[in-house]
Amino acid sequence: MAKDRSPILQGTLDLMVLKTLEQMGPLHGYGIARRIEQVGQDALTVNQGTIYLCLVRLVQKKWISAEWGKSENGRKAKFYDLTRAGRRQLQAEVENWDRISGVIARVLDPAAEV
Amino acid sequence: MLAWMRMWLARIWGFLRPGSAEREFAQELETHLALAEEEKIRQGLDPKEARRQARVELGGMTQLMAAGRDARGLPGLDGFWLDLKLSLRMLRKSWGLTVVGGLAMTLAIGIGVVVFWFLEQAFSPTLPLADGERVVAIQTWDDSRLRPHLTVLEDVERWQGSLRSVVDFGVFRRVDRNLRLGDGPAERVRVAEMTAAGFQLARISPSLGRPLVQADEREGADPVLVIGDRIWRTRFAADPHVLGRTLELGGVDHRVVGVMPAGFAFPVSDQLWVPFRGAALGRETELDPGEATAFARLREGVALESARAEVRALGLLPRRPAPGSEELDLQARMVPYALAFDAHAEPGKIPWEARLMLGLIMLLLVPPCANIAILIYARTLSRQSELAARFVLGASRWRLVGQLYLEVLVLAASAAVTAVMSVSAGGVFLRSMLERESRDGIPFWVDFSLSPQAMGFAGFLALVAALIAGLAPALKATGRQAQSGFHALGKRIDLPLGRTWTALVVIQVALCLGVLPTAIEMGWGTVRKGVLGPGFAAESYLTAELAVDREQLEQSQGLQTALPATGESEQGMAAFDLRFGQLQTEWVRRMLGESGVLGVTTSLSPPGEEPWVDAELEPIELADGQRSPASHRLVRLNRVDPHFFDVFQIPVLAGRSFQPGDFEGSATAVVVNQAFADEWADEGSPLGRRVRTTRFLHQDGSTRNDHPSWIEIVGIVADRPAHATHGTMYQPAAVGQIYPLSVSVHTGLDPSRWSDRARELAAAVHPALRAERVLPLDEIYRENEVANNLGAFSLALVTLSVLLLSAAGIYALMSFTVRRRRREIGIRSALGAQPFRVLTGIFGRAVGQIGAGVVVGTLFALLLAAYFPIEEIGGWKVPGVIPLAALFMLAVGGLAAAGPARSGLKVDPIEELREG
Repeated sequence: MAKDRSPILQGTLDLMVLKTLEQMGPLHGYGIARRIEQVGQDALTVNQGTIYLCLVRLVQKKWISAEWGKSENGRKAKFYDLTRAGRRQLQAEVENWDRISGVIARVLDPAAEV
Repeated sequence: MLAWMRMWLARIWGFLRPGSAEREFAQELETHLALAEEEKIRQGLDPKEARRQARVELGGMTQLMAAGRDARGLPGLDGFWLDLKLSLRMLRKSWGLTVVGGLAMTLAIGIGVVVFWFLEQAFSPTLPLADGERVVAIQTWDDSRLRPHLTVLEDVERWQGSLRSVVDFGVFRRVDRNLRLGDGPAERVRVAEMTAAGFQLARISPSLGRPLVQADEREGADPVLVIGDRIWRTRFAADPHVLGRTLELGGVDHRVVGVMPAGFAFPVSDQLWVPFRGAALGRETELDPGEATAFARLREGVALESARAEVRALGLLPRRPAPGSEELDLQARMVPYALAFDAHAEPGKIPWEARLMLGLIMLLLVPPCANIAILIYARTLSRQSELAARFVLGASRWRLVGQLYLEVLVLAASAAVTAVMSVSAGGVFLRSMLERESRDGIPFWVDFSLSPQAMGFAGFLALVAALIAGLAPALKATGRQAQSGFHALGKRIDLPLGRTWTALVVIQVALCLGVLPTAIEMGWGTVRKGVLGPGFAAESYLTAELAVDREQLEQSQGLQTALPATGESEQGMAAFDLRFGQLQTEWVRRMLGESGVLGVTTSLSPPGEEPWVDAELEPIELADGQRSPASHRLVRLNRVDPHFFDVFQIPVLAGRSFQPGDFEGSATAVVVNQAFADEWADEGSPLGRRVRTTRFLHQDGSTRNDHPSWIEIVGIVADRPAHATHGTMYQPAAVGQIYPLSVSVHTGLDPSRWSDRARELAAAVHPALRAERVLPLDEIYRENEVANNLGAFSLALVTLSVLLLSAAGIYALMSFTVRRRRREIGIRSALGAQPFRVLTGIFGRAVGQIGAGVVVGTLFALLLAAYFPIEEIGGWKVPGVIPLAALFMLAVGGLAAAGPARSGLKVDPIEELREG
């Protein structure tokens, strides 16, 4: 099972976190990690700890905001939400991803281009 | 870009306030673990397994916390901060090394900064005027002797009329005048006779009234005066209505027309300005380059080089050389203004001597830094386990080197800061001392504060010092051999003390011993006079200098035709000597009439304050028919009246004193003191021999021939002061032959009671005559003592620091040896060896090194003693100083070795053998 898992591509974790927050609204770190794992359907190896380092970076860039609140079972947790700058950044990153993944797809399967 | 900036701002904030973010991050990870654990329990795992899995999925907490810290702050700086704290802790722990090493580095860096400051002031002074770098001086340059020459006023007028590359052309001349305010006594002051252009060039407006204008320079114009802020405050109590008031300058009433603001002292250090009246002086007048120069400002857009070319092309008017004088290579030259007053400074050029001096400063750093390097290397032995722990935990070699280097850098940086602060404080002290003591004031462009460049140089020296003292031991202590030891954590590591290190110990012992006798002899020579005292009742003599305001005297006596304003015609000099002689005789006569005065004598200088001359003793026929070689010595020269020896109660030891006939015509007899006879003792008694002075050394270091003819030594008198360090020659001087003249009054009681009377008598004899520097003789000696003691203190500080470092180096070597050979000591002790024999074996090499250092040092000291003329630079030979210094160094070595030796004897054989 573990052999079939792929590591997250370098530089894509920021994009995944931003997209998760856009879809799900405010979430704490554990929620974000679980959501990415669920969406990845166990095909991705997510080192949950790195999610927190990514969150620190995104907060510093003011792409997401952080606020302390209560989790669903009453625990004190830090909730993250997408900012306006984050939304713009997400849009730019998605476009960039589409472009790159399109190029890669074409490189890998030239027949599909026709 | 914006996001990137935001991130770094947030990181800086995180670096400055790490506490709360750290706690929040930890709390967040705890929440994560709790939420994950709960979910896994809900999925059916038992709590223990749920917790384990949650932890595995999150990753190692310690690593995460560290990564979070790095992500929030400035990771490089965090490491640096940690190393810095560690360095400070190590410096505090090894306080002995810190104090000794820091002191030595401070001294070396301090000396470097002082030399840098001096070179900066000498070769690239900044003129504190608007566009000061465009202000220039135009002078006559003697290219054969490489120094400024007298400038003829006619040339100045020609430059002014012809030069196109400059504006605000002017000229000044500084002269001495008697200043009298109201009915007060006259006082000699320095006045700048300056054309109005000087005020335009400086671009500084008066704070009151007006500056001098061209109309003031016309012949027949009212005598006017502009005063400086200091004079305004001290003489006129900052009177806002000072304009229009008069003060007597050189016997002529001058009306104050302006007050210049504080800080204005153009052209040099001036506070009184009167118009320069070239027409009245005459076109042939020669201006002394030390006191007068032409100045101007470069026209907008004109480069210095093109202006210099114009001046060179314009040149000088042809001169008729004085009969008998040698041919001179004179030319017109333009230089940045402040350089006009330093013959050695060439515009835009730093001479090789200066570069060499800066290079030598780096060498000064080597001995203290090499010692510190040994100490640091030895200390790393006691820190091997710490280094090993850091190495095993993943610190790279360069990280360890960086940390060890940083420790020394912190020490060097502290030394640099201390050196800069000390030199700055010294600058403030020097300025206040010079302001108090210097008659002519300090040139306004001399800046006693340290420039950013000088501070930068101190920083550079600190970096170099840290490189020498820190990098080598750091590399050595973390080298391959040491690293293999790091892996064997907890085991003893045997690092070798190579030849380089041991050679350093030999060199430093030798160097220390080599310079110690010189330092002792210099120190003793410096403080000797103060310790032993003058040997006569100097406190019962009052000394003063008699001088006249020449212009005032000429005007009042109608001597103008005989004595030109400047220049030194023989006729004029004779007329002046005659008149000054009359005034001198009258002053002495009146002083002798004062009750309580026991005697009055006149001379060139008071005893002990005479100028230096180079004396040559005439060669004589030896018994074998050969002539003795010519021998020169630096001696003091005084010129005295017939009463000098009586007034100072100087007994004649051999030969005779001066007779009335000696004072007629040119000098044919000379009397010397006992020290003079002692200096030439190897050639027999100097009595009856002939001597001549070949060079007369002025206080500014320049020289001129004085008495090239041979004069017979007719008598030997006792030394006065009794502890004179040098031979002194006395020549007879008739009335009027010395100017300015030193007078000494023997009062028998507190001489300061006659101070005012001395000045009053001068004014009463003639308004142009003044008595200056009226001081009891012992006060003059005391003033010298203060400077001497300061010099001796600095010397002692340097010597002490060298000694301490040397002792510390030996201590380090011995400690090192004991540490390395503990096991050997243990085995030998276990086998029943006598402690003394063990120690001899262990320390044999180290003792050999100290011994070698002592031998080399003794040879070095003997060489220095033979070839270094210590007495000529103020030292005093101390008999037996070299063996004493050698014994002292052995004792220092022994003391430094005592601690480690004791520790060696305490080695427990069982313990050592078990550990091995």
